Amino acid sequence: METKYLTEFYHLPEFKNLDGYRKNGGYIQLTKALLMQPQAIIDEVKASGLRGRGGAGFSTGMKWGFLPKNNEPRYLLCNADEGEPGTFKDRMMMEKAPHQLIEGMIISAFAIGSKKSYIYVRGEYEESITTLLTAIQEAYKAGLLGKNILGSGFDHDMDVYRGAGAYICGEETGMISSLEGLKGQPKLKPPFPAVQGFLKKPTIVNNVETLAAVKYILRDGAQGYRKYGTEKSAGTKLFSLSGNVNKPGNYEVPLAYPLKDMINILGGGIKNGKKLKAVIPGGSSAPVMTAEEVERATLDYECLAQMGTMLGSGAIIVIDDSKCMVECLANLTHFYRHESCGQCTPCREGTGWLEKIVHSILSGNGRMEDIDLLIKVADNMKGKTICALSDAAALPVLSFVTKFRDEFEYFVQHGKSKVKGTAYKTPNYIADKGHAHA
Amino acid sequence: MLKCTINGVELEVKEGTSIIQAMFDNHQKIAHYCWHPGLSIAGVCRLCMVEIEGNPRLQIACNTVVTEGMNINNTSSKVQEAVKWGLDFHLINHPLDCPICDQAGECGLQDQYMEFGQYTSEMAEPKQKKRKVVDLGPTIVLDSERCILCSRCVRFTDEVSKTNELGIFNRGDHAEIGTHDGKKLDNRYSLNTVDICPVGALTSKDFRFKQRAWYLKDSDTICNGCSTGCNVKVYFNKEGLFRVKPRFNAEVNGHWMCDDGRNTYKFVNKEARLEKSQEYKNGAWNVTGAAGAVTKSFSKLLASAQPEEIGLVLTGQLTNEEYESILNTFTNTLKTKNIYHWKSPETEKNNFDGLLIRADKNPNTNGLLAAFKKHGISSTWTDLEAKLNSKQIKNLVVIGPENIAVYKDIETQVNLFTKASNLMYFTSAQVAALKASQNIQSVTLIPLKTFIEKSGSFTNHAGKVQAFKKVTTIVSDALNVNEVAQLLAGQEIKLQFVPTENLFIAENLRPDQVRLELRKKNEFFFNKG
Repeated sequence: METKYLTEFYHLPEFKNLDGYRKNGGYIQLTKALLMQPQAIIDEVKASGLRGRGGAGFSTGMKWGFLPKNNEPRYLLCNADEGEPGTFKDRMMMEKAPHQLIEGMIISAFAIGSKKSYIYVRGEYEESITTLLTAIQEAYKAGLLGKNILGSGFDHDMDVYRGAGAYICGEETGMISSLEGLKGQPKLKPPFPAVQGFLKKPTIVNNVETLAAVKYILRDGAQGYRKYGTEKSAGTKLFSLSGNVNKPGNYEVPLAYPLKDMINILGGGIKNGKKLKAVIPGGSSAPVMTAEEVERATLDYECLAQMGTMLGSGAIIVIDDSKCMVECLANLTHFYRHESCGQCTPCREGTGWLEKIVHSILSGNGRMEDIDLLIKVADNMKGKTICALSDAAALPVLSFVTKFRDEFEYFVQHGKSKVKGTAYKTPNYIADKGHAHA
Repeated sequence: MLKCTINGVELEVKEGTSIIQAMFDNHQKIAHYCWHPGLSIAGVCRLCMVEIEGNPRLQIACNTVVTEGMNINNTSSKVQEAVKWGLDFHLINHPLDCPICDQAGECGLQDQYMEFGQYTSEMAEPKQKKRKVVDLGPTIVLDSERCILCSRCVRFTDEVSKTNELGIFNRGDHAEIGTHDGKKLDNRYSLNTVDICPVGALTSKDFRFKQRAWYLKDSDTICNGCSTGCNVKVYFNKEGLFRVKPRFNAEVNGHWMCDDGRNTYKFVNKEARLEKSQEYKNGAWNVTGAAGAVTKSFSKLLASAQPEEIGLVLTGQLTNEEYESILNTFTNTLKTKNIYHWKSPETEKNNFDGLLIRADKNPNTNGLLAAFKKHGISSTWTDLEAKLNSKQIKNLVVIGPENIAVYKDIETQVNLFTKASNLMYFTSAQVAALKASQNIQSVTLIPLKTFIEKSGSFTNHAGKVQAFKKVTTIVSDALNVNEVAQLLAGQEIKLQFVPTENLFIAENLRPDQVRLELRKKNEFFFNKG
């Protein structure tokens, strides 16, 4: 069963509009928050154990606590770039409940003392952008944004910024560069954004789901929020279930929900009566899990970390036993090569190298030593760069090759897929671009 | 001050110092490409990895500040492995065309490979193809395949020259350096990007394909292109000089120099030089004897002339020592005060461009003025014109400029000088204007040495006295002005003739030994920055 906490009213079309949102408890928490001490809100969020829902799972309250304690202007940025393959929860949240995000953002901005916020939305999300823009206008008209919000003396302005489609702009400093009008490339840390971010001012970057959850923490209190999930993974989380399941979609469940139930109960089981082969549990950057591992896994930060993978953005990609893992990996390596910003050498050169090796194997030119080479290259890309894209590219390679080594070896030996029994056909994305082997 | 330990050596460093700067200051080796002490931190080559006690992850030394008690090393096998792989990532798509690459011999990739690599590459896939021979502007050619995208050149144009011509275009392994739409890499400091390019991606149109780095020797000197007095290194061999590069001096030029200064080697080389004394007699130019003998013969003539019949013209291109000796000869021995300052016309509106370039194209105007003051000389150019027109000055000694190109008024002035019935023109450059002059009476041209061929000092615009040593000899028969001064005063001097051919191989070194010497002296880690 789903636990509809954040998504309680998502089935109501009117929830999109200010009136409908207000009818269902909207902006009550904002009124309440504006009467609180900002520090009290930060403490409440810290006590709730809310962790960043974008992928890294870093404590939100702690992140806010890194801001310098002075009157310097500061920015709140909402990360709605949602580029992690397999993830589509933020999109639903923005399209179905834009005011939920806006309310969460105003409360958060009040807590950290920010007078200006931006929502950086993935460029392809046309509908999210128009919905948000309409909602922001409604909020301005209702005095929920702008000068002296609800007579509290707190001013706040909000804007939507449309991304141009780069995966790397979902990385917080990459997003800041993009927002500043620069090429979307992550910045060197330190300084961290909380100290020196957007326009060299203290900046907090939070995911859509994180900011939306803030309102519920105020409504139910930290302890009320902790009713869901575990000690370290508190609250509910939206999961984007995709791949070879009968009922793909977004599902909200408390953290520590069993992964197999997510697939078999909420997802309605594997499509076409096939068998489960593998699951990527937290977006394409998360190491892949075998069917056997899935049985034991629960959807919380700790369990998945213990199993050598991660909760990430909550994108669960289900792979059935008719899929060739070499081909799946080829798809992933292509993605990371295409999206590497090209700043740091190990990532720029490594992502390309990985893709070339996987394609050599796919095209029947693989050598046995290529399999170990993949592991060596990926190993040396890990933890060596400015941002985590290099790790994100390396982790799937390491897990695919180690967990499904037999399929790679078979492909090298026989020049065809162990699963499909066929030789490799150039997929469209490579034939189109023509640069995979250029 | 903070205490830290780097590779077992205890050091004291200033607060806020990065690890790489601390290592650099203390002559510890650390591999790096993107870091440059004169530019902002990019942190992209990921080569300057260090291990810090208590931190499981390797950190980059360029963006990590030293803290009290920090224990750092970059010699552990973990670091060495990371650097080896870091280097391999740089090399997998690099064309390895060293045999035809101008950077070979002074290339960061080659140096690091010898230091950390020496392995066989495991890259079996086809390399990335990128643009070759890209014309970036009037001075520079780009080879994108060789480029390792360290972004030094981009940061230079953004931060130092502030001309913003360059950018990195595209992403991932398609990323390439290029100029922004409609722009060319065309600024007066453009060639610094070639110096800071750690590989052979940016090459100077002036230097490319002229010489292999290992056939060149380098020596320190001071640029004589303008009154800034940038500290430079000149690269030369027995065929002459080939290029000029800046040398770090925090007080004068930092890490940089201008493109004009890099051309100063051209008027030093034989092609532009007066090699033998020449005499104009009976309507024709003839080569005469050795420069020293010819000069000596003038001493009697000058000694017998009245002091007011003698004149001397000087430019701001000589050394302080030369001013002293020549003024000594003229004021004390020949007893004349007919000494004049030939100023180059200031060609630019602004005196200073804010970075390095100054309008006064003479390296030592300040030295000349100080010497004039010391010897009580305050004559004006109009005075010279009057005395030549009235035939009062009969014997005129002119010490002409060596950087003749900045003396745009040379034709006019030469026509003025030739009014003297006896003109002794000392010059390192060939003076076409004099040869073309119509009303020549008696003229003797005597070859002079250039700043490359003598030791001395210049006083720059700020009054800073900078000494430099003789680099090499290009024209062996030429005199320096100290010698001229002594000879004109009637003194004997012992001229030292060094056959030009022997200069480069005087130390009896084979080219590879020369290269070894250069390497020892000029390690990438310490000097290249």
